[in-house]
Amino acid sequence: MKELEKTKRISIAATLFILAVIIGLLTYKRPKNIYAINTKDTLEKITSKNYLVTLNDLNNPDDVIIDIRSQYEYEKGHLENAINIYAPEILSEDNLKVFDELKESNKTAILYGNNPQEVNAPFLILYQLGYENIKLLTIENSYLQNKLISKNSVIEKSEADITAFINESIKKANTVETVKVVVAPPKKVITIEKKKKAPAEGGC
Amino acid sequence: MVKKKIAKVLAFRYKILAAILILLAGGLVLLPKYQKHEGIKPELLVSHAISTERYMSTDRLAHILINQDPSFILIDVRDEKSFAGYTLPNAINIPLEKLLDEDSKTYFNQNQYNVVLFSNDNFYADQAWILCTRLGYKNMRVLKGGINEWYTTNINPLKPADNMQATDFELYATRKAASMFFGVVYPEQVKVEAPKVVKEAPKKVITIEKKKKAPAEGGC
Repeated sequence: MKELEKTKRISIAATLFILAVIIGLLTYKRPKNIYAINTKDTLEKITSKNYLVTLNDLNNPDDVIIDIRSQYEYEKGHLENAINIYAPEILSEDNLKVFDELKESNKTAILYGNNPQEVNAPFLILYQLGYENIKLLTIENSYLQNKLISKNSVIEKSEADITAFINESIKKANTVETVKVVVAPPKKVITIEKKKKAPAEGGC
Repeated sequence: MVKKKIAKVLAFRYKILAAILILLAGGLVLLPKYQKHEGIKPELLVSHAISTERYMSTDRLAHILINQDPSFILIDVRDEKSFAGYTLPNAINIPLEKLLDEDSKTYFNQNQYNVVLFSNDNFYADQAWILCTRLGYKNMRVLKGGINEWYTTNINPLKPADNMQATDFELYATRKAASMFFGVVYPEQVKVEAPKVVKEAPKKVITIEKKKKAPAEGGC
């Protein structure tokens, strides 16, 4: 009798366990977006630097240019044949479909924004999601009378040698010490003589 | 008859249960493929990356450095050569390539300090920030504009033009004071009181106006 009770419990427990696992499997939702590339490989890619392109490299017919700025800015002016995909919406289904299609047709997506820094985040996130066919266009955009002007820009350019500047300032300050005392020449005071009014001459 | 059949099946019940359990165990081997999700969700990463919260202005950083706030760690992600050339006070050099090394992780994977990443502009620093944020590291900041911005604001501030607002002049004064703190010397700061020339008070010449005689008024 006791033996029977025990086996009954085991079978009940086992059935419950199986049920739990099955329910878990059924309700399991595969996350929509998954990183395909881990951080180490991404780091290798971004230190290799072959993902940067300039305006001069833009004549390849397999390139598709993507503008990640807002629709407003896109409509104000954009590069020729560019598609507008606003950066905060890159993970929406429609936009990912665009990237999927590009990947399947072996085309290169070239991302640009108002400056290279702005494109950095969308570029890296897409890359980590497995879209290895993307590149970053290093340009800076500005408007002149509502016309878009794009210039190549160099990333991470050191604009000033600060150590040199500080040393220079110290040197300069030390040489200034011998200040010549310039004695101001005595001012000449020009007094304007008032013309005397001619006395009113009386007369008849 | 039916009872007999049930009894027959029931005799195998442990074998059946065991078989199902083994099958499920086999299924678990396949599962981890989806769970190999390193770091936070991509959607979350996008929303973090789009917001500008991570940026710290150079003026704020100067304030922190001058007050010697101990809760901030500065990390220079440029290469060693640039680091040797110039860097911010007390900064630590972790070139971007070494960002994910074990040694570097101790700086990022903690909750006590705020980490400020910087490079020449904020391109490399942003990349480092994105990778670290994906790994779930908190308290990461990026110096907006990087060293170049630092130079134009806190090393060589631009003197405001005369017609600019009073706040611009105040900002300039603060920045200039900050630049002195960071080693820049201004000529007027060193000028050891150029011997003051005591100006003699200009002699006042008091001219006594002669009273004019009233003109002879003519009359008849």
